[in-house]
Amino acid sequence: MRVHPLLLSGLLALGVSTLSAQQAPATAQPAAQTAKSSLEISAPRDMDSVRFAIIGDSGTGDRRQYEVGAQMTKAMEIFPFEFVIMLGDNIYGSERPQDFIKKFEKPYEGLLTQKIPFYASLGNHDDPTQRFYKPFNMNGERFYTFKKGDARFFALDSNYMDQAQLKWLEEQLSRANDRWKVAFFHHPLYSSGARHGSEVDLRTRLEPLFVKYGMDIVFAGHEHFYERIVPQKGIYYFTQGGSAKLREGNIRVNSALTGKGFDVDNVFMVAELGKESMQFQVVSRTGKRVDSGSLPLMPEPKQADDKSRSQ
Amino acid sequence: MVRTAVALLFSALCISLPAGRLAAAERAQAKPPVNPHAQALVEFKKRVDTYLELRRAVTQKYPEVKETGDPAKIHDREVALGKGIAMARISAKPGDVFGPVSGQLLTIVEKDWNARSPADQKAILAEIPKGFVLKINQPYPPDVALATVPPKLLAQLPMLPEELEYRLVDRRLLLRDRDANLIVDVLVGAEPTRAE
Repeated sequence: MRVHPLLLSGLLALGVSTLSAQQAPATAQPAAQTAKSSLEISAPRDMDSVRFAIIGDSGTGDRRQYEVGAQMTKAMEIFPFEFVIMLGDNIYGSERPQDFIKKFEKPYEGLLTQKIPFYASLGNHDDPTQRFYKPFNMNGERFYTFKKGDARFFALDSNYMDQAQLKWLEEQLSRANDRWKVAFFHHPLYSSGARHGSEVDLRTRLEPLFVKYGMDIVFAGHEHFYERIVPQKGIYYFTQGGSAKLREGNIRVNSALTGKGFDVDNVFMVAELGKESMQFQVVSRTGKRVDSGSLPLMPEPKQADDKSRSQ
Repeated sequence: MVRTAVALLFSALCISLPAGRLAAAERAQAKPPVNPHAQALVEFKKRVDTYLELRRAVTQKYPEVKETGDPAKIHDREVALGKGIAMARISAKPGDVFGPVSGQLLTIVEKDWNARSPADQKAILAEIPKGFVLKINQPYPPDVALATVPPKLLAQLPMLPEELEYRLVDRRLLLRDRDANLIVDVLVGAEPTRAE
């Protein structure tokens, strides 16, 4: 999807219209918002929107993961998200049966008991047999797609981007006519991380498809921090690999890619996809909102692109 | 004696046959040209197919796990499948599958590596696990990350069926059985790790 020049310039000028807690729009549950003073999160703008949470690099089984999980359960009361997407490294280290309990089922018990479904993608620390684990909803596939309301989600296996997967992705994208197209996978195409940085090789494979078929939002993990990337070729990129692991101070200072970065504590993210825009909020382990904003839906790819696509 | 006779006969033919007919005779005698790389790939595919055949036989004893909420079932099947395959190819040794394409694979990996920027090389090296022993027919260490195979490199390597995957580890290119977590073959000396 192309960026409309006016939208892009407006977006850049506004720093992507970040909303503070005070600036948050009137919502359906303002009372609940004030009641939860330890958790800075706003209610959704529109209860008909597609609402979800995003976690990445989460499966450590340590205290930090549990604390983020507890905040997510609390957040549900104010921002009732319908599902959670996982950006890989879902289970670190050994993957014995008890590890799935300690590193997934217990930390997110509060959500699982409310029947909130999780949709996982694979990280480099994940055994691909995780795709058979029912609570990850991968349908036995390394890469898969699912639809929620007006949005189509594409879960990719960025550890092993072979020809079969690329072919599958192009087929799926070419027939997707949903208002929102959202991809999520482990390795970030753009990142200001000092340790890993942008996955340029992967980008050369995926970005042309994303641009051609109008991908709107891309979520990735791998870097153990949060970063909102300045829109690239009309696509919003988020790195959110800090839901349990933390690489403190790892975001390169003055990186031209960074719209907003946070690398001093663990976070989770919630988002809602409305008719015209996406609202997002990023909340730290201690309940502080560290980033939020409203991002307009970009126009569909131009007709010329459609023609070239069909050729 | 025989060689002399053949040489004389050949000389006689050269003298007696017109040039066009001589060329035709040479063509008839020559073997069809063979691309050694293509031949090696065909042989590699045959070996992969042989592995899959063996694997299929073992898999029948351990039916595929459909989605389950019980991770023990997934884990137990992975371990059992790995052991079953290892038993069925107990005499497997390095090069049994990679054999015919080993040289080509090393060249591909090396060229890919040399074409990368220093920053890209650094990023890849940072991802590659190292410092542990890998043996054929042994499980890939469950605590160790699976290094990401750079997509550009992956696009150059011979395609594999879904059951198998390449992985770069230390100084080796591995052939790994995805669902059995089994090291099927190991190719030593692959870049990029030579740069360590």
